[in-house]
Amino acid sequence: MIPFAQYLRGLDGDGDLLTLADDDLADVPPDVVAAEALRASGPAIRYDRADGVDLASGSFSGPDRMQRRDAQPWSRLALGLGLDPDGSFVSVLETITALGPAGETDGPTYDRQAASRTLEGVQALALPQGADDVWPALTLGVASIATADGTHWAPIHGSIVGEETLRVRTPAALAALVDGDETISIALGVPPAAITAAYLLAVTERLAVPIQACGVADDVPLVPTNGGLVPSATEVVIETIVADRQPDFQSDRREAWEHCLESTPLALSVERVIATDEPVVPFSPVGRPLADDLQLTGVTTAATLYHRVNNYWGISPVEWVLLPTEAELGICVVATDILYAGFEWQLANILFTFSSLFDTVIIVDEDVAPTDLGRVLGDIWVKAHPSRDWIFSEPSAPAARRPRYRQDGRTGSQLYVNAAWDPRWEDSYIAPRVSFETSFPPAVREAARTAWRTRHDGATDETDHGE
Amino acid sequence: MAADSFRDYLRVLAADDALVTFDEPVSWDLEASAITMLANLSDSEVPLFESVGATDVDAALAGDPYRGPRSRPWDHLAQSFGLSAGLSGAAYYDAIIDRLRSPREPRLVEPECAPCKDVIHTGTDVDLLSFPWPYVHRSDGGRYSNLHTIVAPDPETEWGRWSSHRMMLHDDALASLLFLAGEQVPNRYYYEYEPRDEPMPVAAVVGAEPAVQCSTEMWIPTGRSEAAFAGGLKDRPVDLVPCETNDLSVPATAELVIEGHVLPNERLDEGPFGDYFGYMNGPRRSMPVFAVDAITHRAEPRVPFCVEGTGVGYGQNSSSTLQTAAAGPDATLGLRAAGFDVGAAVPWRFTSRTVWVIATERSYPGVLHELANFIFTTWGMLHIDFFVFVDATVDAHDPRAVLSAIALNADPDTDFHQFGVERMPKVPLNIYQTPDEKGSADVGTSKAKTAKAYIDATSDQSAADDADAESLRARAQQILVDAGVSPEPFDLLEQRERRGGEQL
Repeated sequence: MIPFAQYLRGLDGDGDLLTLADDDLADVPPDVVAAEALRASGPAIRYDRADGVDLASGSFSGPDRMQRRDAQPWSRLALGLGLDPDGSFVSVLETITALGPAGETDGPTYDRQAASRTLEGVQALALPQGADDVWPALTLGVASIATADGTHWAPIHGSIVGEETLRVRTPAALAALVDGDETISIALGVPPAAITAAYLLAVTERLAVPIQACGVADDVPLVPTNGGLVPSATEVVIETIVADRQPDFQSDRREAWEHCLESTPLALSVERVIATDEPVVPFSPVGRPLADDLQLTGVTTAATLYHRVNNYWGISPVEWVLLPTEAELGICVVATDILYAGFEWQLANILFTFSSLFDTVIIVDEDVAPTDLGRVLGDIWVKAHPSRDWIFSEPSAPAARRPRYRQDGRTGSQLYVNAAWDPRWEDSYIAPRVSFETSFPPAVREAARTAWRTRHDGATDETDHGE
Repeated sequence: MAADSFRDYLRVLAADDALVTFDEPVSWDLEASAITMLANLSDSEVPLFESVGATDVDAALAGDPYRGPRSRPWDHLAQSFGLSAGLSGAAYYDAIIDRLRSPREPRLVEPECAPCKDVIHTGTDVDLLSFPWPYVHRSDGGRYSNLHTIVAPDPETEWGRWSSHRMMLHDDALASLLFLAGEQVPNRYYYEYEPRDEPMPVAAVVGAEPAVQCSTEMWIPTGRSEAAFAGGLKDRPVDLVPCETNDLSVPATAELVIEGHVLPNERLDEGPFGDYFGYMNGPRRSMPVFAVDAITHRAEPRVPFCVEGTGVGYGQNSSSTLQTAAAGPDATLGLRAAGFDVGAAVPWRFTSRTVWVIATERSYPGVLHELANFIFTTWGMLHIDFFVFVDATVDAHDPRAVLSAIALNADPDTDFHQFGVERMPKVPLNIYQTPDEKGSADVGTSKAKTAKAYIDATSDQSAADDADAESLRARAQQILVDAGVSPEPFDLLEQRERRGGEQL
């Protein structure tokens, strides 16, 4: 388990964290700066502030893959989950899956609460007001409630609308677990494993599963609060009581997980705020490209789909599943062995069944690397025949939740693009790729490497097509 | 520094630290191509091979010289036209379109003033194989010249028609040309010269100045001259000089000019070749024969070549860069001239000759259908299969923004058009048709037809006035740059500082 503050120090140590002070920001809202940093595939940012908590943006997101880059969108999260940032994407997916109900656990461990300082109120946090916000905003929170079954976690976000009042959105399924004026604790600045687990439970709609039964309990030491258990290393805990289950809440802000399941507004009355000595909490420029909440939703959904499709047919033909944040989670990409003619149809349709986010699936050959979105964005137009490999269903499918069209619930078509080779084709039909390995015999490759190194002291990059 | 010759262009690269020279011997037989592929894959400097062994002529090879940086593929060409480095895609397109709006007629110079006439070989003195034509991929059918301008006669323009068709060398005086019916010069050969049993005079211009190479990639309407648009691009006339053995005129500063005729009813093998799709295409097929009558060249000519197949996915090479930097602005201007309210027509960065993005207003119902059909019927549509239409407010140069538009706006139910309708021709270079479907490719098109499709990824919502938001974004970008983030990816700073694109 890596506490959030330690995680930021790790990013800093890797040269992947930029620190800005109040004076640097002038009067530009942090969410605008955060969005521009993401748009530019820049570093995560820590905002050192004289008043209130320090902030961090981009901590759960990363660079886009519109160009070849050394880091991947999930590299930071991998570091936060205790993995090698340069390790495989599948290891990230499997680690995320293990944080949920599919993971093994011997039950929670407990530790001393890091947030030992009681603040005067929620205003003392001085959370930032976004460019389009009326009130200071709270994002990337983890709601914790206790029931007879245990503690339940879910994502939560909202606004601070008064000295003691929050208006928030959280999954309706979480709110339904309690029916009175129970306490909800909001944890800000939790270990990356904890917020990832909260997102995983949300996108899989497994919020009724207590975290004591999830793998995250094995990884993240916990501590009780007046709500439910929270990670002991949490930077800020806001203990609240449900004041109104049907508040007049006009905010348009929606975190990306809300595309996966129904959310509900709540008005919360703040009971107590506790924080570490030098608290730092993450925030997401919600609604902007590559935002942290978008990335968390995409990678947890991908983990879920990868786990489900590879446990469905008794074998594991799928190499990886990806919901690119660059496509706003509206497209699902899957690399697979095409087991037999028609398997691609089965695979696409089971992905449509397992997720309501998207209604477009792209299927690529198993040898395509998940880091090589560039190849995917070439192959869909080059390998997929525009007449035969862009397959539209009859227009009776339910509308996907992420796209902007057909939000009135009308049915329509789903599309899958088969950019994998047809298993019925003779080998001679299949065009070999142009690559360094395939284009030159070994002696020429070695001579070229040697000649190139004499000019460029560093290693050569021979990845196919610059991937 | 503007470039009036290919050598000038290499000096532009050198001044920008974008050229690396190899003095030690490098073989044309795969080795130069392999090193160039490493350069392309690592987004590094353009390699210039000064010492190429086993050739009679002391020539150099330049590997993918027009490849630009991945972040701004047009950057080197912009500088060669006297524009600033570091322009955004939109600013570069604006500047090039301004230039193309003012074509400059070429200037005919005397042969003694033409560097391409430094050395002249005619008749039996011609030896095509005395030059270091590269063997590019080990599965290719032979050695190729694939970064040149084919000059052919055109009754409607004084200066002929310029276009690009790869050439496979066969012996000291014969080559085969990839002529695909549907393109202007091949059409004239297949449907005018060959039926009359008449050889078609052509000249292959190798190592022309960048403005010539760029206009060669453009789709110039009949009756207009690529030579004049090349002059517009560089803002002064291109110098031309008459050929030695036919009535054509060729760029005077070219490194090498091969004069000859495309013979009627004669064919030689062509291909296979590792092509711009990123895959080896085949099978080998028969293509028209180019019989060489004369070769003229500069002393110690520099011969450019392209490692095809490396300009897809994340990669860039000369052909992908020329599509983005030359064909794109030209197409944008062409669509505007046809009356369409087009912000930009930009090749898709990951496969630039297969799909294009067009940012446009939907000014009246049905405009996208009309625009698509206009393009499908007036452009050389053998290569391009797809168009993606996005709102005019979407930056067509930003593939992430385009991908988002497709994902969020393009309804599979209503916005994917003409998929499944196999009515249009296709080059047999493609990899999604079977060999049977490609057939013998008598005139360079597949036996089977294909679909030409378009995607409406425009939004149904009107764009909000976001001037304030853009101002905030620009200030945020400046904050990040001041804090040490590279200014390279930021769009609003450079547009603010470099609007207009003219070099100061």
